[in-house]
Amino acid sequence: MRTRSAILLPLLGVGLVAVAVVAAGSGQVGVPPAEVVGAFFRGLGIDLGPMPTHPQGYNALWAVRFPRVALAIVVGACLALAGAMLQGVFGNPLAEPAVVGVSSGAAVGACAVIVAGISVLGSWTVAVAAFVGGLAATAVVYALSRSDGRTEVVTLVLTGIAVNAFSFGCIAFLIFVADPQAREQIVFWQLGSLNGTTWPAVYAVLPLTAAGAFIAVAVARRLDLLALGEGPARHLGVNVERLRLVVVLAVALLVASGVAFTGIVGFVGLVVPHVVRMVAGPAHALLLPASALGGALVLLAADLLARTAVENAELPLGMLTSLVGGPFFFWLLRRTRSRQGGWA
Amino acid sequence: MVATTRRQVAALLGGLAVVAVLAGCAGPPGLAAAPSATGADLAIDGPASVRIGDDVRPITDRPEPVLPVTVTSHDGVPVTVSSVDRIVAVDLYGTIGEIVFGLGLGDRMVGRDSSTGFAAASAVPVVTSGGHDLNAEAVLDLNPTVVLTDTSIGPIEVQQQLRSAGVPVVFLDPTRTLDGVPGQIRAVAAALGVPADGDRLVERVGGEIAAAAAAAPDGTAPRIAFLYVRGSAGVYLMAGPGSGADAMIRAVGAVDVGTDIGLTKPFVPITSEALIAAQPDVLLVMTHGLESVGGVDGLLRIPGIAQTPAGTHRRVLDVDDTQLLNFGPRVGEMITALATALYGRS
Repeated sequence: MRTRSAILLPLLGVGLVAVAVVAAGSGQVGVPPAEVVGAFFRGLGIDLGPMPTHPQGYNALWAVRFPRVALAIVVGACLALAGAMLQGVFGNPLAEPAVVGVSSGAAVGACAVIVAGISVLGSWTVAVAAFVGGLAATAVVYALSRSDGRTEVVTLVLTGIAVNAFSFGCIAFLIFVADPQAREQIVFWQLGSLNGTTWPAVYAVLPLTAAGAFIAVAVARRLDLLALGEGPARHLGVNVERLRLVVVLAVALLVASGVAFTGIVGFVGLVVPHVVRMVAGPAHALLLPASALGGALVLLAADLLARTAVENAELPLGMLTSLVGGPFFFWLLRRTRSRQGGWA
Repeated sequence: MVATTRRQVAALLGGLAVVAVLAGCAGPPGLAAAPSATGADLAIDGPASVRIGDDVRPITDRPEPVLPVTVTSHDGVPVTVSSVDRIVAVDLYGTIGEIVFGLGLGDRMVGRDSSTGFAAASAVPVVTSGGHDLNAEAVLDLNPTVVLTDTSIGPIEVQQQLRSAGVPVVFLDPTRTLDGVPGQIRAVAAALGVPADGDRLVERVGGEIAAAAAAAPDGTAPRIAFLYVRGSAGVYLMAGPGSGADAMIRAVGAVDVGTDIGLTKPFVPITSEALIAAQPDVLLVMTHGLESVGGVDGLLRIPGIAQTPAGTHRRVLDVDDTQLLNFGPRVGEMITALATALYGRS
């Protein structure tokens, strides 16, 4: 177990870079890996390796492919990191970002501006509305489940379910009043996609991801203590209530910024931490960074599949992650049950 | 309990009242419908398909673009086009591609949308996936010298990506109206360096529209409703003001029912009762939409449709999905075809 966990992070890192190079070279404008590397360094002002032979190769890489690969990495890391933290703070294998209402809240925000036709912030309106909606829904879930300065885990989860149900009602209403074009936009937003990613979107998400990752590093040890149970953790000096608040806040930031530009991408936040936990064990100091890398890897691969699987068509990203993630999770469940008689 | 019963009785009485009104309005199926003031003027008697030729007639065989030109894109940005050797034209309706072919520059198109579907364009590669989604890579792979597009297709980030990759991207007006056709044609012609050909194309289209309008007989105008029907899920919307269908219906001298009954939006979900009350003489639908509900017989099974004059006489006109509302250079032909189907002469 120890050697496995020692090589896990380097392995994931190398895998991520390799898949990133392949992903950046694949698509309608074909560019071999060596030319991808050459174009990448040329963009940074370094002459190294061959330049793309396709007349639009260099432009395609820097204007279309690189920002897309970068955002896939960032969003994948966000979602998986958020899932890992939530599962830690809830001590519950079911926890995923959707539980605190952030995904459905983001969807309500996005749908509302699509239907109302608001575009005060140009093409960023939907992203900003989704981000605000996600944060707002999480705030509502947290506020409603708090009483006497305490939040019970079960109350929090149930409140999340209630807020999610309300959000879906709002979305249903918005779909009802929308005109056909807006309706189509809503449907596709909820399916998730990285098509049309620009550098500014990456720059906007990156600092929020960094903030979330910083919080993750800061709380990793306390999450380990919390795994002993709330009582023992409190005796060991952990302010459980504040830890919970900080983690929920970090998750809201990570997920809301992640889905703002991509739409709903399911299951990455649920499945990736579970897989990592099976390999690396439950210690958060390793679990959190490994989940982030793993999430980035999964989403990058999923997006590569989404845009290359069918000629000249773009498969919805959220559809792919759910189609693959669902059965995989089921298999994981059966396997864990037969080996350990249930979740560890 | 008593209250509930009373409410049920009231509902029942209300229902009976509606049935009585319906019977008074449309009469039972099989009998003649309430006489339409215009029945005599309409040649259409039963379902018909409105079709136009599968090709765009170019205004010239040898266009001579004068380049470079600098035009102001619809988003306010000046764009310089220095070559029209490799044109990509994409929008939701296929309008821009049709104009490019109308200007005689079709052989220089290297990329199109899925709505630009006429025979001459079928060999040009499609760069959209699933109709609405533009794919930056597919466009870049064609190494275009100019991209003509509008905001009806997106995501807008894709067009921005193309621009940042150094491709001249000219945005055009995304609204599709009959009145906007000349401006649309002139804008495309200007961006491609053939403004004189654009003027001649505008002149030709204007003549066709005027000729079709003259075909409408005098007397009370027929009432036509454009219905957007799709699938068996009961999705049907009536077109109202601003839908484009209203302008096409007016262009053949008819009354747009959606506008007439006071709809305020381009497409409105409509109830069976409102449809019966609207009493359209003719229904206009999209060909694929009609197929998706099971043809005219399927359409008549949608509650409310059989109870209109259009339903009782099976006066259903279907028109190709990509042709009715694209407002390109074939709009004159389209209006002529509509008038012919309605009045039997052009």
